[in-house]
Amino acid sequence: MDSEDDMHDAHDGDSLEDFYSGDTANESDDGAGDYDFMDNDSDDPDHVTSHRQQFVASFCRYDERLEDGVEERSMFPEQNYTVLSEEDIRRHQDEDIARVSNVLSISKGSSSILLRHYNWSVSKVHDAWFADEENVRKAVGLLVKPVRIPNVRVLTCGICFESHSRDKMDAAGCGHVFCSSCWTGYISTSINDGPGCLMLRCPEPSCIAAIGQDMINKFAYHEDKEKYAHYLLRSYVEDNRKSWHKTVEDGWSCLTVDVACPCAVTHPSEVIKGRADIITSEFGTFGCDYAVDFVFGSGSYDVSCNCSHNFCWNCTEEVHRPVDCITVEKWILKNTAESENMNCQETSLYGVPATNNRLDELQMQEKDAEETPHPQTVSSLILANSKPCPKCKRPIEKNQGCMHITCTPPCKFEFCWLCLGSWAEHGERTGGFYACNRYETAKQEGVYDEAERRREMAKNSLERYTHYYERWATNQSSRQKAIADLQHMQSVQLEKLSDKQQQPESQLKFITEAWLQIVECRRVLKWTYAYGYYIPEQEKAKREFFEYLQGEAESGLERLHQCAEKELQDHLKSESTPTPGFNEFRTKLAGLTRLGLLSLTPIPSLRMTNLIRNQPNPT
Amino acid sequence: MANSNLPRRIIKETQRLLSEPAPGISASPSEENMRYFNVMILGPSQSPYEGGVFKLELFLPEEYPMASPKLGRICLDILKDKWSPALQIRTVLLSIQALLSAPNPDDPLSENVAKHWKANEAEAVETAKEWTRLYASGV
Ligand SMILES: [Zn+2]
Ligand SMILES: [Zn+2]
Ligand SMILES: [Zn+2]
Ligand SMILES: [Zn+2]
Ligand SMILES: [Zn+2]
Ligand SMILES: [Zn+2]
Repeated sequence: MDSEDDMHDAHDGDSLEDFYSGDTANESDDGAGDYDFMDNDSDDPDHVTSHRQQFVASFCRYDERLEDGVEERSMFPEQNYTVLSEEDIRRHQDEDIARVSNVLSISKGSSSILLRHYNWSVSKVHDAWFADEENVRKAVGLLVKPVRIPNVRVLTCGICFESHSRDKMDAAGCGHVFCSSCWTGYISTSINDGPGCLMLRCPEPSCIAAIGQDMINKFAYHEDKEKYAHYLLRSYVEDNRKSWHKTVEDGWSCLTVDVACPCAVTHPSEVIKGRADIITSEFGTFGCDYAVDFVFGSGSYDVSCNCSHNFCWNCTEEVHRPVDCITVEKWILKNTAESENMNCQETSLYGVPATNNRLDELQMQEKDAEETPHPQTVSSLILANSKPCPKCKRPIEKNQGCMHITCTPPCKFEFCWLCLGSWAEHGERTGGFYACNRYETAKQEGVYDEAERRREMAKNSLERYTHYYERWATNQSSRQKAIADLQHMQSVQLEKLSDKQQQPESQLKFITEAWLQIVECRRVLKWTYAYGYYIPEQEKAKREFFEYLQGEAESGLERLHQCAEKELQDHLKSESTPTPGFNEFRTKLAGLTRLGLLSLTPIPSLRMTNLIRNQPNPT
Repeated sequence: MANSNLPRRIIKETQRLLSEPAPGISASPSEENMRYFNVMILGPSQSPYEGGVFKLELFLPEEYPMASPKLGRICLDILKDKWSPALQIRTVLLSIQALLSAPNPDDPLSENVAKHWKANEAEAVETAKEWTRLYASGV
C-alpha cells in the first residue's frame, strides 16, 4: 500500500485542474482568487468562520434562481455546452458535408464517404486530399471518372445470373452491373448487419468502389434508409470524439467538439420521469439520441444531457465536481487495486490483530471467504447490507437511504450506520462539531520495534482507506436508493398523496424537489470523500476546514434524507385524510431542501483545485 | 417442396459445377435437397495432403447468395465478413483447395494441424500425411 505516494501525485498535475477553476495559474498564485483563503497555514478557528460568511454571500445566485422557479440545479453559473437534438446534429453534419463538397468540388455523397473515413474531421479530409488525392481516392473507394455501363440492350446480373434490359441494371460507377432487385438485397443485408454498412463496397470482390448515399437512396427500402441515416448520424457523433483526441495530441486547436452522451454505457437506470426519455433504439444499444456540443477551454466539464444523464465531458465518468478528473481516476484505480490486494495479501500485510471493529469484521469475513469458492473483495465487504447492532449485536439490515438506523424492538437502539455510534451523540446536539466524517489516526504510543511499526502503519493505512471508501461507497448506494425512491414516488406515491391530502400534484412539487436535491447532494458528498482521502495529512488547517464543511453538509443531508424518507411515509400511511401536520411537513422539507444545498454549496465553491494549486509544491 | 422454387442462380451454378467441374473438385447436390451439396476435394499435389480426398458438406441457406454458403468449421474470410453475393460455390471450393496446398497457421482449417504447424513444420507435414492416409484415402 502506498497511500503516501498517492497523495502527492494527486496534486502534481495541474493542467486539467485549471479548467475547473477557469482561472489561469498566474491569477491564483498571487492569492487574488475569490476563495483563496487557505494561503496562510493558520489553525485559527475564527479564520474558519469568517470565510464561512464569505460563502454565504455567494449563494444568492442560487436563491435567485429558486425564486424564479427555474428548475436549474447546477451550482455553476456558466454553461459552456449545448445539448444537441438529433436535428441539430444532422444540421452540423450536413454543414460539414457541404463544406468538403464545395472545397474539393466533389458530390455530397462522395464528401460524406470521405468524412466518414476521416472520422468526420473536415481539416483531416482537406489535408489528406491535398497531400495525395490519388491515394485517398483509392483508400476510400472514390473513382475519378465513372466507368460507363456497356451500351447493349440486355445485360446479365452478376448476382442472380438473370438477363435484364439495360435500364433495370445499375453500377456504382465502376462498371460492375447488377439488377435493381439484387442491389436492394445487397444493400438491405448490409444495413441489417449493422453500422458496417457505412463502409459498403461494390459486390464484385476485386472492386473497391464505395457504395454511398446515392445508391442507398435509389435502392434501399424505406426502413433501411432510416437505419442507414441513423448509423450515419451516430458515426458523426461517436467518431468525432476520437478525432478530437488525435487533434489534441497533434497539437492542433479545436474549439467545438461534439460528444455522444455516454449514458448508455454508464447509468441507463438513472432515468427520472418527466426529465428524461432514454430512447430504446431498435438500431442498437444507444442510450439516447442527443449529443453534446462542448466549447472547449472555459468553465466546468459538467454536462447534463437532456436524457437526464449527468457526466464529465473530460473523462466521461459521472459528474464528480468538486473533485477533478485526475483525483477521480486515481481513486477509481486505487479501489480496484485495494480490492485485488485484499484478495491475495491478507496473510502478509493485513494479518495483524485489529482493534477496529470494521477491521475485525473484514478479517472475519475474509476468513469465511476462504471457504467459499468466490473470495470477497473490500468493496463487497464494505457494501454489505447488514451490520451487527452495536448494542444488542443482532444483525441489522440497511434498507433505507439515510444513515440513521433504529434497531428492531425491543432494542430500538438508534445508531449511525457508518460509525456505529449512538445517534443521540451524533451531531451538533453534543455541542461539538459533527465528526462522523473524520478519520483520526490511532495514536501510536509505546515502544515499537521496526517490524511492529511497519505493521502498525500498514494497518492504519488500511483503516484510513476503509474509512473513506466506506463513506464514498455508502453515499453512492444511498444515492441509487434515492433515485429509485424518486422514481417510485413519481410513478405511484405522488398520486396517492395527492388524493390523501386533497391537494393537486402541482402542490406537491416540493417533494420531487427534495428528492432531486438528495440525489445531487449524495453525489457531491460521495466525491468529497475521494477528495478528503488525498489531502496530505500534514496539511492540518486545510484538512480541518474541509472536514468541518463536509461534516456540516453531511449532517444537513442526513436530516433532509430522513425527513423525505420517514416523515413522508407517515403521511402516506396515516389513516386520516388529510393528515394533520402536512403543512408543517411541507415547510420543514422545503426548508431542509434549501439548507441541504446551502451546506454543500461551500464545498464546490471552494474551488478545491485552487486550494491544491496554492499549496507550496512539495518537490 | 424445397427444390421446386429454386432460384435461377442456384440452378445455373449447379449445372455449371456438374458440366465443367474445377480440377480436383467435385460437388453434387443431394437428390432430396438441391441446396445441400456433397463435396470432395483432392489433396493438392506437392502438398502434405497429396493423395487424400477431403469430403465436405455444403449448404446454401435461404438467403443465399446474399448470405454465404454454410461449410462447417472451415475458417475462410470469404465465408464470413468478406462474403459477397458476386462470389459463387465454385469460388469458395477453389479457396479451400488453395488453403490445403498452403495451410495458413493463423487461419486454421484444423486447430490441431495448425498447432503442430506452428511448432514444427516438418512434423506437421508428417502428421498431415498421416491423417490423409488414415481418414481421407480409399474412397
Ligand atoms: Zn465494382
Ligand atoms: Zn440480379
Ligand atoms: Zn443522454
Ligand atoms: Zn472528469
Ligand atoms: Zn439492537
Ligand atoms: Zn456516524
